[in-house]
Amino acid sequence: MILKYSVKNIVKSYGPLKVLDNINIDFIENKTTCILGPSGCGKTTLLNIIAGIIEKDSGEVLGIQNEDISFVFQEDRLIEWKNIKDNMAFVLKNKMNKSEMESTIDRFLNLVNLKEYKYYYPRNLSGGMRQRISILRAFAYPSKMLIMDEPFKSLDINNKKIVMEFFRELKTLENRTCIIVTHDIDEALDLGDRIIILSEKPSRVKKVIENTYMETGNEEDKRGLKLQVESALMRD
Amino acid sequence: MKNSILKDKEFSLLSKLILIGLWALLSGLIDKEVILPSIGSTIVSLIDIIRAPGFLGIILHSLLRSAIGFIISLLLAMVLGIISSYSRFVYQLMQPVLNFLSSIPTMAIIILALIWLDNEIVPMFVGFIMVFPILYETVLKGILNVDKNIMEMAKLYKVDRFTIIRDIYIPSIFINLSSVLTSAVNINLKMVIAGEVLSQPKLAIGSNLQMEKMYLNTPGVFAWIIIILVISKILGYIVEFIRKIAKEDRWK
Repeated sequence: MILKYSVKNIVKSYGPLKVLDNINIDFIENKTTCILGPSGCGKTTLLNIIAGIIEKDSGEVLGIQNEDISFVFQEDRLIEWKNIKDNMAFVLKNKMNKSEMESTIDRFLNLVNLKEYKYYYPRNLSGGMRQRISILRAFAYPSKMLIMDEPFKSLDINNKKIVMEFFRELKTLENRTCIIVTHDIDEALDLGDRIIILSEKPSRVKKVIENTYMETGNEEDKRGLKLQVESALMRD
Repeated sequence: MKNSILKDKEFSLLSKLILIGLWALLSGLIDKEVILPSIGSTIVSLIDIIRAPGFLGIILHSLLRSAIGFIISLLLAMVLGIISSYSRFVYQLMQPVLNFLSSIPTMAIIILALIWLDNEIVPMFVGFIMVFPILYETVLKGILNVDKNIMEMAKLYKVDRFTIIRDIYIPSIFINLSSVLTSAVNINLKMVIAGEVLSQPKLAIGSNLQMEKMYLNTPGVFAWIIIILVISKILGYIVEFIRKIAKEDRWK
């Protein structure tokens, strides 16, 4: 087990409201860690601290600060007046020369059989397809870590399944250390190698569950783990 | 969709035919060329005006004044709009100027312009006074309304400032500008002609309109109005063409 990235004793308050209370999490390299917790418990705040978007009050973020990080948000955040190729090029320009960029974009589009969409504009794509492009952009960006903030939240059930499968496929092809924030238990069990359960505000790490279902694929395991997660979420 | 476009065109043609019919009917009823000229006498005047020597010069001079005034308004609006979006001081400085321009009657400004400026410059100034605030507000809105989520994404992916300006801010300004461009160009043309009516430069549509009015040649006035309508329509097509060249339609 390689522990390259971690957060130690993270505390964050907004005025008198304490949101995060002494959070400690280790992120295993090239594995997916799902941060699961009730709505409004401070999951996104923790993610923003990890990404360096907001300041913590105290504690440490180790190994992440100097890394290039890829992001997938709740919304696809594609630029409407750029086609898919240019949307991807927008984030890659600073990282590689033109020919390298062209070949990276082509390689990733080919990888997931989306080459035909290269010159499509976002407005011509469905919500699910847009989010797939957003995930593809994140994987194409040369980073070791991928942070995803409720990336499937705005999708309907069918699209959610397709996009989750798309993520799994890309993750198998292009290994990354992933942190996914979610409030959906099934999502966490389907994607996370490790599930971190946070409590209500002020958030603490309530339980860390190693997701054996990811390895075995056994539905029985999943049911057992789901019960564990549910009981952990209910207990306060 | 195709059917509805066809129907819209049919309605538009019908509306034009009704207006022309109404004009023919009223001019027949009133039967006084000075008050409402007939379609026939207006066409005769129109042909006379077009065939008169110097017609093209008149049109070109008015269009040139219009173009110069508009380009100055556009450039100044872009420069000041961009500076205002960055500098609170310039933004605050511009507010009273804009309030002044929007609340003072246009005629009052034209009168002052007539006192202060050369009669060749007055029409351009009048156009500028009307169009600059519209373009300035549009540029400013284009910058301030840039999607915050996209900006955050760009920041997190460490996209450099130059790329952000070129790929996000400038398209955003142009998207906003393109939505007001046709109306701004036409308002500008109307105001330049209004300025010409009062300042009477040598070669100008406005000066000729004023002359027709002085001679109580109402068919001549109507003929010039038709010419202005045609110019306005052509300018609309040109703007649309430029938008297509700039692939603006992609930005919607």
